[in-house]
Amino acid sequence: MDPLIRLEHIVKVYPPNVVAVDDVSVGFRRGEIHAVVGENGAGKSTLMKILYGLVPRDAGRIFLDSRAVSFRRPAEAIANGIGMVHQEILLVPEYTVWQNIVLGQEPTRWLGRTDVARARKLVRQKIEEFSFSLDTDARVGDISVAARQKVEILKLLYRNVSVLILDEPTAVLTPQEIPQLFGELGRLRDNGHTIIFISHRLDEVLRLTDRITVMRRGKVVGTVQTAGTGKEELARMMVGRDVVLTSRRAPRQPGPPVCEISGLSYADPEGRRRLADIDLTVHAGEIVGVAGVEGNGQLELVNAIIGLIQPTAGQVFVKGLEVTGLPILARRSLISFVSQDRARMGASLGASIMENVIMTHHRLDAHFSQWKGLLLNYPFARRFTDELERKFSVSMASRLAPFSSLSGGNQQKVILGRELLLESPFVLLDQPTRGLDVGSIEYVHGQILRIREENRAILLVSADLEELFLIADRIVVLHRGELVADLPVEKTTMEEVGYRMLEGRARAS
Amino acid sequence: MRRKTLTGAAGIVIALVIGALIMMAEGFHPLATYQALFQFSLFGLSPLATTIRNSVPLVLTGLSASIAFASGAVNLGQPGQLVMGALCATAAGLVLNLPAGLEIPALVITAMAGGVLWSGCAAFLRRAFGMSEFIVTLMLNMIADFFTAWVIAFPLLDPHAYSPMTRAISRSGWLPDFGGFSTTILFMLAAAAVSWFVFQRWKAGYEWRLSGQNSLFARLGGCDIDRNFVAVMLFTGALAGLAGGLVVMAGPHRFIKGLGGNYAWDGVMIAIVANNGLVGTLLYGLFFSSVQTGALGMELITNVPSEISEVLQAVLVLVIVAGRKYLGAALDRLEARRRASERRAAAGGGQAGGRAAP
Repeated sequence: MDPLIRLEHIVKVYPPNVVAVDDVSVGFRRGEIHAVVGENGAGKSTLMKILYGLVPRDAGRIFLDSRAVSFRRPAEAIANGIGMVHQEILLVPEYTVWQNIVLGQEPTRWLGRTDVARARKLVRQKIEEFSFSLDTDARVGDISVAARQKVEILKLLYRNVSVLILDEPTAVLTPQEIPQLFGELGRLRDNGHTIIFISHRLDEVLRLTDRITVMRRGKVVGTVQTAGTGKEELARMMVGRDVVLTSRRAPRQPGPPVCEISGLSYADPEGRRRLADIDLTVHAGEIVGVAGVEGNGQLELVNAIIGLIQPTAGQVFVKGLEVTGLPILARRSLISFVSQDRARMGASLGASIMENVIMTHHRLDAHFSQWKGLLLNYPFARRFTDELERKFSVSMASRLAPFSSLSGGNQQKVILGRELLLESPFVLLDQPTRGLDVGSIEYVHGQILRIREENRAILLVSADLEELFLIADRIVVLHRGELVADLPVEKTTMEEVGYRMLEGRARAS
Repeated sequence: MRRKTLTGAAGIVIALVIGALIMMAEGFHPLATYQALFQFSLFGLSPLATTIRNSVPLVLTGLSASIAFASGAVNLGQPGQLVMGALCATAAGLVLNLPAGLEIPALVITAMAGGVLWSGCAAFLRRAFGMSEFIVTLMLNMIADFFTAWVIAFPLLDPHAYSPMTRAISRSGWLPDFGGFSTTILFMLAAAAVSWFVFQRWKAGYEWRLSGQNSLFARLGGCDIDRNFVAVMLFTGALAGLAGGLVVMAGPHRFIKGLGGNYAWDGVMIAIVANNGLVGTLLYGLFFSSVQTGALGMELITNVPSEISEVLQAVLVLVIVAGRKYLGAALDRLEARRRASERRAAAGGGQAGGRAAP
């Protein structure tokens, strides 16, 4: 069968010399759900952005229905029936669902006025045609992330797109919301639509798709029928070796309390309650996982512990010392901190790797001082950077290369290494594996388990339930700023935690 | 480093070519004009000495702006800090009459104190009331302008002068020339060296740089970014104040109306052209000074008006700043193309796409 879309010998080099897509040829058939999987940095997103006209290619050809095409911008791709839904959802929150969908292509009456009645009717027709459950008149700012994703898809369907590219659509969804999305995608396929599904979650890919293309380091490793493959084979193709994420957590008796939070509350400047009376203790040698749908107080909890915001009430103690009210530097001698946002909080992308490595150490470790602390001891900083490079097996071109030149996994290794070398008793990790590939996730988990053996206390905030179940000892659930559950990991299930994340209470059985 | 030199040199050449085209359109002979320009600023000991002396206030205010911008403090108060430094040095020079070995350091220090006082006001208003230093330093420039104008017209007015100016400062505070080379150059080089050392080698300089690039990261890393902000404001204020003091001590030896001229704004412009690099600021400062110095000579021997040098400076700024981004991106893209064709040759298949990257 001749594929609907054929990519031939596509090459993309990001200046100056990062080969993102390396001579890739692949075909997508009409009416199939075709996954493109691979680790982060394997080139899946770049390949799709080339097809969609967002990124110019350096070589290669694209055929649509055996006709050579070339899209200079997404609008041209959409006009040819190819649409893409990005990871970040790009909608106008103040507009209603139908307004967002017709935006830019409104049915008009005379003098160019929007024909509201017809627009709503058209949108409702589309919603019914694909049996999406959506309220046309809800404000996009008020609806859930899953619903916003549907709006994005409908926006493309309204423009009569027959090929949908979805870039990691499940990354923002809770476990309960995923089956619904898959049901909708299945109906779209049965309707004759072609769906290209980018992911690195193998379970989902196996559940949903017809065929799977695996990419590694910019190349296609192979395309397989979903029916004839399994998780182990895909993982092997993705990383080039056997990696199965299994729990390596050995049972362990927790030690004395290290971090004690009592009655912590926070209201934002607009007076909205973000944290309500949180009580939480993390013991030495214990990993406490914080689960919750994004925006339920996780960020505020982390910021209050590290000192970016002042809580309205309550205290945080580390090793018996009250840190609420202390400046950040004083807290940093007790708390190692990996933030969820590498680019904004965890590093300075333009600064050199060395300048990133020595942050915080330069204040806390006397070896970095010369002339009574006036001068920075650069020879020591160089040795220290080399030590981190060795201990955390970072691959870097040179100490003075910009931090941004590192791959995502190596960036996180540098940040994690810097923080763990602080040797603080309490380690605060905010989504430490966000956006990392399987190999790097495995590495980070190994390091977290290692410091657990060193008897440090670890608070791990994660949006990835699987991760929490792999390494945490206890899982607490945040819901609308309240701590609604505190469950030992052996005595609960992913479904139960997921239910509490959504409903804020245990399932009535 | 090599790329910076390359894009800078290419920018200068392109700007000179564009300048030549403008002169030709105006009916002047570009080669003769350029010859006259650089004859009066670079060729020969005396022109060179003049160029370097004129570069002193440009470089010092340029360093002030570069360090402030690179540290994330939007100090645009160099004009005000410069005249306040000049005024303080003048006042001290009128009051004190010490031996030169004491008088000169005393005046230099009061000049820096004048600049620090003025930038310190902005830093205080930001810390105490959260007022943006961007707008406050600009407003303080006006206040400094009118304040100095009032001081030299009333309390410190030289009654024998025909226009508002102070009396001359004590002779021991005059900075001597050696063979036409003003000793202000030594102060400028010392200030540049100290600035580099503080910025690149001190712990504080490390924190300033990192705060300038990503202040949230620096803050989470334990840097006291509020204290660093104040320190940067005071340090850069001192540099601008020093520029003012040296102008008085080398030149008219008194505060005359309009003394600040356009030095400080040119300094800010040089910092932008140099992309806030300290070495770049020093080199571009010397280069812009040569264009400004040569303009006078150019007017003398050709009939080209000296204003054409201002056109030339504007073209230089635009071409170098625009060219830095564009040339950098173009070099990157060239390299990417080369890699892509290598890959394709290695793979032995595929044809270039129908569309070329712009």
